[in-house]
Amino acid sequence: MIALIGAGGVALMLALSLVRLHAGPTLYDRALTASSIVTKGALICAALAASAGRVEFVDAALALALGGFVLNAAVLKVFRVGTFQAPMARSGEDA
Amino acid sequence: MFDAVLAVLGGVLIAAGLTLMAGGTLGLLRFPDFYTRLHAVRVADGIGAVVFLLGLAAVSGDGAIALKLMLLAALVAALGPTLSQLLANAAHLAGLSPIAGPYRAPRPGGRRDV
Repeated sequence: MIALIGAGGVALMLALSLVRLHAGPTLYDRALTASSIVTKGALICAALAASAGRVEFVDAALALALGGFVLNAAVLKVFRVGTFQAPMARSGEDA
Repeated sequence: MFDAVLAVLGGVLIAAGLTLMAGGTLGLLRFPDFYTRLHAVRVADGIGAVVFLLGLAAVSGDGAIALKLMLLAALVAALGPTLSQLLANAAHLAGLSPIAGPYRAPRPGGRRDV
């Protein structure tokens, strides 16, 4: 029961974070809010798992947390170099 | 007896985690620039998430679920600060200036100028 209440509270904060995702003036604000929202989704999954007593939901939460981290790091890399195919060496430098 | 203690402990931890996360979300909505928002979200929200997950592990009442929830708590505690450093570094390298102006490191030898 208390896990369900916790899931409801986290869902409320996720809904509030959507405001910043819409209004954030810079791209970095949006990346930060997106990472926070993915973490909150994983927390909701974990709370539902503890409430329903099913292990699979915790696996889903683990996958969400890991995948969200990797995706956010990749998005930041794209912000920095502007392409998905960044060269490994600087131009003009012999590899 | 032990179950009751675990339930009370889990309830207190879940309430504390929700309070911390409410503070982090409020900071995300109200703080003036990116670096202050990063500080609010990744500090308060990260600790709140870990405390919340530990509370869930206490109330879940199943050994396998509790173990996996603690693993998830360790994962969140490790990945959150790493991602916050990546975000701050990316924004700094892109030239996003803090609201207080760019930081000037003190020079060795006591010279305050240049």
